[in-house]
Amino acid sequence: MTWSEFSFERYRRYLPAAAIFIVAVAASAYLSEVSLTDLRRGILKGLSLLTLFFPPDWSACKDMLQPALVTLVICLVATPIGAAFSIVFGLAAARNIAPEWLRLTARTVIAVERGLPEIVILLVLVAAFGLGPFAGVMALAIGSIGMLGKLLADAIEEIDPRVLDAVAAVGATPWQVIRHAVLPEVLPALVANSIFRFEVNVRASVLLGAVGAGGIGYELDAAINQLEYSRATMAVLMILLLVFLSERASDWVRSKVL
Amino acid sequence: MSASLAVPSNVLPSVRFRRRMALLVVCCASVAAFLIYLKVDPIEFFRDFHFVSDLIKQMMPPDLRLLWVKHGLWTSLLQTVAMAFFGTLIGSIIAVILALFAAGNTSPSWALRLGVRTLLAVERSTPNIVVLLVLLIAVGIGPFAATLSLCIGTVGMFGKLFADAIEQVDPLPGEALIAAGASRLQVIRYATLPQVAPSVVANVFYAFDVNLRLAVALGIFGGGGIGFELHLAQSVLRYKDMLACVILILVLINVMERIADALRRRLFLQEV
Amino acid sequence: MLEVKGLSKRLPTGKTILNDISFRVDKGEFVALLGASGAGKSMTMRAIAGLTSVTAGEVVFSGESGKCYTTITASGKTSGKDLRRARRNIGVIFQGSNLVKRLPVLDNVMIGRLGRIHPLRSWLYGFTDQEASEAMAALERVGMAGFASRRTGSLSGGEVQRVAIARAIFQRPLLYLADEPVSSLDPKNAEAIMQLMQPLAREHPILGAFHQPGMVMHYCTRVIALHKGSIIYNGAPNLSAKQLDEIYCGQADRPEATQELTAAAES
Ligand SMILES: Nc1ncnc2c1ncn2[C@@H]1O[C@H](COP(=O)(O)OP(=O)(O)O)[C@@H](O)[C@H]1O
Ligand SMILES: [Mg+2]
Repeated sequence: MTWSEFSFERYRRYLPAAAIFIVAVAASAYLSEVSLTDLRRGILKGLSLLTLFFPPDWSACKDMLQPALVTLVICLVATPIGAAFSIVFGLAAARNIAPEWLRLTARTVIAVERGLPEIVILLVLVAAFGLGPFAGVMALAIGSIGMLGKLLADAIEEIDPRVLDAVAAVGATPWQVIRHAVLPEVLPALVANSIFRFEVNVRASVLLGAVGAGGIGYELDAAINQLEYSRATMAVLMILLLVFLSERASDWVRSKVL
Repeated sequence: MSASLAVPSNVLPSVRFRRRMALLVVCCASVAAFLIYLKVDPIEFFRDFHFVSDLIKQMMPPDLRLLWVKHGLWTSLLQTVAMAFFGTLIGSIIAVILALFAAGNTSPSWALRLGVRTLLAVERSTPNIVVLLVLLIAVGIGPFAATLSLCIGTVGMFGKLFADAIEQVDPLPGEALIAAGASRLQVIRYATLPQVAPSVVANVFYAFDVNLRLAVALGIFGGGGIGFELHLAQSVLRYKDMLACVILILVLINVMERIADALRRRLFLQEV
Repeated sequence: MLEVKGLSKRLPTGKTILNDISFRVDKGEFVALLGASGAGKSMTMRAIAGLTSVTAGEVVFSGESGKCYTTITASGKTSGKDLRRARRNIGVIFQGSNLVKRLPVLDNVMIGRLGRIHPLRSWLYGFTDQEASEAMAALERVGMAGFASRRTGSLSGGEVQRVAIARAIFQRPLLYLADEPVSSLDPKNAEAIMQLMQPLAREHPILGAFHQPGMVMHYCTRVIALHKGSIIYNGAPNLSAKQLDEIYCGQADRPEATQELTAAAES
């Protein structure tokens, strides 16, 4: 296409949409205080700070091991607990298993759990239980229930009703149908989803840690607040290592299980 | 007669029962061990349940008057959406550009390709909070830092995905264009991008969904948006305000999800 | 043995799915239900197994001990316990696609006994080794013993159908129901399945739905033909071409055609 072919008429119908879009971009840029001068200054400042960040404070490595382990353990506890409870919620939220009132209740609870970011759950839990790993474990577990429960309920609803009828037709009770037909069909997918969720949880727990759930996220936040930037770099390296290892590990488990 | 044929041992019920029990015991024992390591006592949860009931008493009823008493609240809500929107938009644009450099069939050189791929992989596994904490030092506290870290997060989330999508496009239309004398950029514009556009658009909507939640979370540190209001209310122990913020966040995320759904439907209907 | 008395099913919309169906199935019989698609064959069997509700009539069948089981009545549902008791005596051979695909073949066979084991055992222990070796014997009978530990989802259509029959055999029912057990199979496999079912029918009667008149004439002892929810023929399996025409081509709508058919059945 050349410029001579360009005609305003062709694009006229997109005009309102384009106008709304541009206004939305401008408004959001204004509201989120985007400023190119800040960006330029930030880049310059960042470059000048590089010497403070590097080299990493290798001696802090020893202090970081314990918090990294705490973060890992928080996820290792929260994910299976969340997965176990998601079975209950998944069954309760499936149309072909649960009565309508139970299904609606469970779906609502799941939707709330999914809608709220973990950190919001954490802040509420901290208000009740105080800072510490317990609130972190609970927040991650609740978040996991939301995601895993919804996936599980959807998977259960997709089971061919004739398969369940065929098991009921030999005289099985509804609970036997769940045990011998529903669970065998969906548990492998639940395991795969839980492994994926574990990876998500590792990343999320860094954030939760920074708010007060403890672990490596807290170390990073503390180091930066105390302006110990090379120590912060060490924490970042530790976090990257943790995320990398958890990804490797979950890949390995996935290949073993499936 | 019935025992004439041996049951294969891997489906023999007693063997499988023993295996299941062993797995169960190992799982329960390790979760228990982890809880002990974290010094978390689940029984305490039930013993100290009065904390929860106290909190619920203090939170009820949520103080939704906040919406018209506190002027900044609407701005905070909009600010959260703005951070997510802007971060998603710029992040996606950068992701597409980087993906073109990272995909084997569009990248100008393999060295560049390797470099960009590595960059994307690192970005992908860096938690957003790490990026944010570093940015806070560089550009200062405020929603801008959070927006920037959402940008970077989006690039990490989708750069590799887009690159893989580009590598999987059908090469035939592009080859036809080359045969007709088109330049490399023209091939990308008229053959490659149209093929990946639907998946890019679908992922951009997904990214907005993720980023909206992250915008709430990062606001707590970045000093902006409804997340910050929530944190503020929580740290000054105004639990009625806190619950109001939680409800507002829930409503906000739900409303935005609906708007995005409606937009997506219109967009994809138009394309078909 | 099995007695279906005046079974009717009408939808709230007024559509009639089953219209006053009555027939008996006795010991040693292999009865074929014929009829075009939508004639109500599946619905009849679902009603017998208590898997649907009816607006009139009832189904009763008696075991060797003279005990009577009612699987379904118009007056609402039979109690869960009674239904369970009745169902475990009816072996339903569904189309093979109704097996649990992610379970090993052996587990799918053992599911046949669920009606006889305590629900708590299902959750706490599962099946016993004794039951497993009996299930192996059932698999051996249908020629599938070598597949016991295979995932059911990876079997072919004919193999899956054999597993479904093994489940029914292992269940040790008093009556078999088979809804189109050979419809999705190639002729050779279909023939093999029929050959499996024929001796089964001598032990306990089979009521099956089929679409292959030739095979039915060869293996079955009686034919019941359905048309739009009504029985239009109940008699010997050797049908003439004209009779088949009437069953499948819908001419049975004319009342005189039904009379002709019935007359032919009686002669
Ligand atoms: N769940 C249902 N709701 C309403 N109508 C149904 C339902 N199931 C079957 N039918 C109707 O019942 C009639 C008989 O169906 P079916 O017994 O499956 O026929 P066949 O097995 O002989 O092919 C058909 O007209 C079908 O449309
Ligand atoms: Mg049918």
